Parts: sequence; structure tokens; C-alpha cells
Amino acid sequence: MRYIILIFLLFFNFSYVNADAIYNLIKIPNLELHKVDNKNDIKYLVSKKGFVIGDTNNIKCNGVNKNDLDDTFNKVQNNLRDYSSNFLKKINLKFVVLCKNLEISGINTGGIPDNKFRTLILDLKFNQKYFERMIHHEIFHMIDNSYPELFKKNKWRELNNKDFSYAACSTCTDLLGLNLEIINGFLTEYSMSTAEEDMAEIYSLLKTNHKETSQLIKKDKILIKKKNFLVNSLQKIDEKFIF
Amino acid sequence: MIKKIKPTLSEKILFVFLILLLIFTLGSFYILNNKCLFVKKIDLDNINYKDKKNIAIMEVECGKVLIELNPNISPKAVNRFKKLINKGSYNGSAFYRVIEDTLIQAGDIEYGNISNLNYSKVGTGKSDLGMIKSELSNSFLFNAGSVAFARKDKFDTEDSEFFITLIDIPIYQGEYTPIGMVIAGMDALRKIKVGNKSTYVLKPDYIKSLKLLVN
Repeated sequence: MRYIILIFLLFFNFSYVNADAIYNLIKIPNLELHKVDNKNDIKYLVSKKGFVIGDTNNIKCNGVNKNDLDDTFNKVQNNLRDYSSNFLKKINLKFVVLCKNLEISGINTGGIPDNKFRTLILDLKFNQKYFERMIHHEIFHMIDNSYPELFKKNKWRELNNKDFSYAACSTCTDLLGLNLEIINGFLTEYSMSTAEEDMAEIYSLLKTNHKETSQLIKKDKILIKKKNFLVNSLQKIDEKFIF
Repeated sequence: MIKKIKPTLSEKILFVFLILLLIFTLGSFYILNNKCLFVKKIDLDNINYKDKKNIAIMEVECGKVLIELNPNISPKAVNRFKKLINKGSYNGSAFYRVIEDTLIQAGDIEYGNISNLNYSKVGTGKSDLGMIKSELSNSFLFNAGSVAFARKDKFDTEDSEFFITLIDIPIYQGEYTPIGMVIAGMDALRKIKVGNKSTYVLKPDYIKSLKLLVN
């Protein structure tokens, strides 16, 4: 019996092909189609076995199960339904990959946008307090990546106080606080890390906590300018855009 | 004097069993070696063609495959496909990339011909006709037997390479430029050689010929 099992396993080892139809399209292995949302044409893909990708295998994510999806999928779908298929096409988003414990170069992260393959990878187990905000935060990065000429960082930096400067990168600073508060032209501590993260923070807070964020922005001259900068730029992509 | 020994009943049974085992082994060897044994041959005369001008006939190791082209959906792509067929560019083109039970890919004219297959460059070759714009369609469903142009990671990079789906792949809808549908001969395509542990195939099967039914 043992030999039969061994022969069986050997056969399967030789028959295994490490690729599939979805990999062909977005270069992430072991994905299954979960749902196609007819409202905005987003194709939701699920990783059940997990994956490792990137030129140096630096992006890792574990597989999700039915319970993980039951808990969080509707949140993802409802938030992404804020965006029309036309807008999503403009910002190069078509596929949303759902997995858990996402990390890049050993650092946990909520999402990774990949404009080249029109894909957004989302960690379903990201801190649920900030989960919905994180989705819009990553969407902003996709917008920014698609239209860098509309979100010029040097112009954005000029909006801050002259004595302020951002960190060299978003992960080379201890400024990681995500709570909403006014700090001299910033809405969160994390906003002070880089210009890109600052924009994404304001955008995501206006998307998910519009009333409170708008009221706070009204109290700060720098934030008013920053909001106007974002709205003007976003309306160049979609003239009907409003927060 | 040598005494004649009669075989016992169990020895006779063992002998018959060994003969049957030999027949079974030889039979299995023959069947396993002949991958085309159970592939149905198609009769070109017994097929109802919608439009004979848009039928391509591909011959592979296990038989003929009929492809109905869709110029209404992707006129430029079909035009390119026909041009390359008429030039004979696809004859000898290797199915160098095969995702088992999913899709097969051929059509690298520069590096993918079986007569001078370049394993290190196959998949990067070009035709001398340049790239064409993607013609995407939300009405083409990418059911099993769909024929479509392959492309690089970006759109508008279609050239000569094409793939045929062996199963329904609805996620490809609106992602690749469709050329047509296989209307007969899917069994022959399912016998195309698969790679071992990789989608790239060593000593791959190839297109013996690809012609239009009517020129």
C-alpha cells in the first residue's frame, strides 16, 4: 500500500504545473476568482494558499478562508462601489486581490497598489478600526501613480510651514499614528511622513469620515489649501468628483 | 531416464497470469505512446460553415482544428492573423507555452519556429508587421476554444502570438483581443504537449500548417 501511495505522489509531483490562467494576467499565483462586481466591473480574486511575489520575493501574503471573507468582503465591496467603472479605468484598477497578513520587505501593510497590472492587493486582517480608510488610502496611491503630473510633490510641500520637512520615506520615520487630529497642517501623525502619504491620508479621511474631517480642515489654513489642491487635481481626472 | 513433470494447477494459473500481464503491459505501452489514439478525426465536408472566408484550418500532431474568425469583433486583429497565415508564418510555430488543461500558446514567428527554436528568447519575438492596438470586447466570453492574441503586460502590444483556451476563462473577458473560436478539433488541442513543472515546454508540439479555407 505504501508503494502505491509513493507512486501516486510521484505522479502528482511530475504533473504539477506552477501556473494558472489568472497568473497569466496579473502575475500573482494561486488565486481564484471570487466575484465580478457588475456595478463597477471590479474582479475580486482570492488567495487561498497565499503567495510570494516581487523581484526579490519581498511581498508575502497568506491565504484567506471562508470566515475571513464572510467577515470583511462586504466592507471592501461597499467601499469600492464609491468608484464608477469609468473612474477605475482611468486610475488603472481592475483586480482586487484579497489575502491576509500582507507584508512587504518584512513590514506589515494594509494594501499594495500595482498600477502596471491594474491590481490592488488588500490585507483582510488589517486593523479593522482603520480598514475602510486604508482601502481609500491605497486607492489614492493608485490615482497618484496614474496621474503624477496632477499631484506634484514639490507644489504640495510648499503648502506646509517653511520650517517643516517630510521624512525620506514612509517607513523611515516613527510617525505612524493614524488617529484624526490637527497637527499644524496635518490630519494624522502618519501624514507627516511623506507628501504622498499626507495626500493619501487627507483623501481617505475625507472619503470615510467626511463630516468630522471637513470640520477640522476648516480650522486650519494649510489643510484648506491641501483639500483644494486635491479636489482641483481630482476634478481634472473626473470633473464630477466630490468627496 | 528423465521423468516428465506435469505442471500443477497453480503453475498453470501463474503462467496464464504472466501472459495476460505481458499483453496488458504491451497494450498500455502502445496506448500511452500513442496520445492521438482516441482523438476524433474531423470531416471538413460535414461541417456547416457560416462564412467560409473566415475559417482557418490548423493542423497539429493529433489532427485538424477549425477556427472560425470574428472580424466583426476585432477586424484589425483578424486581418493581421489572416496576413500571417497567408505568409505561412505560423507553419512550424511551436506551442512553447502550455498551461495544463487551461491554455496553449504559439505564434512567436521570430524565435518560436520548431526548425530553429530559441529557448532563451522564445516569447519575445516579433513579426515584421509591428504591434497593433488591442480590440477588446465585453461580448466575447472566453469560453473553451477561444482564440485570442497574446500581448505584453500593456495593452496595444499585440503582434503575432496567440493563445487558445482549453477551458472557460471568463476573467479574460475584456482583457485580450479575441480572434475567433475553435468550432472543431478541441480534442486534438487537448493533446498538445505540456511542460514538466513549468509552463514552458521543452521539445514542444507545433503547428504543422495553418491555412485559410478560402483565400
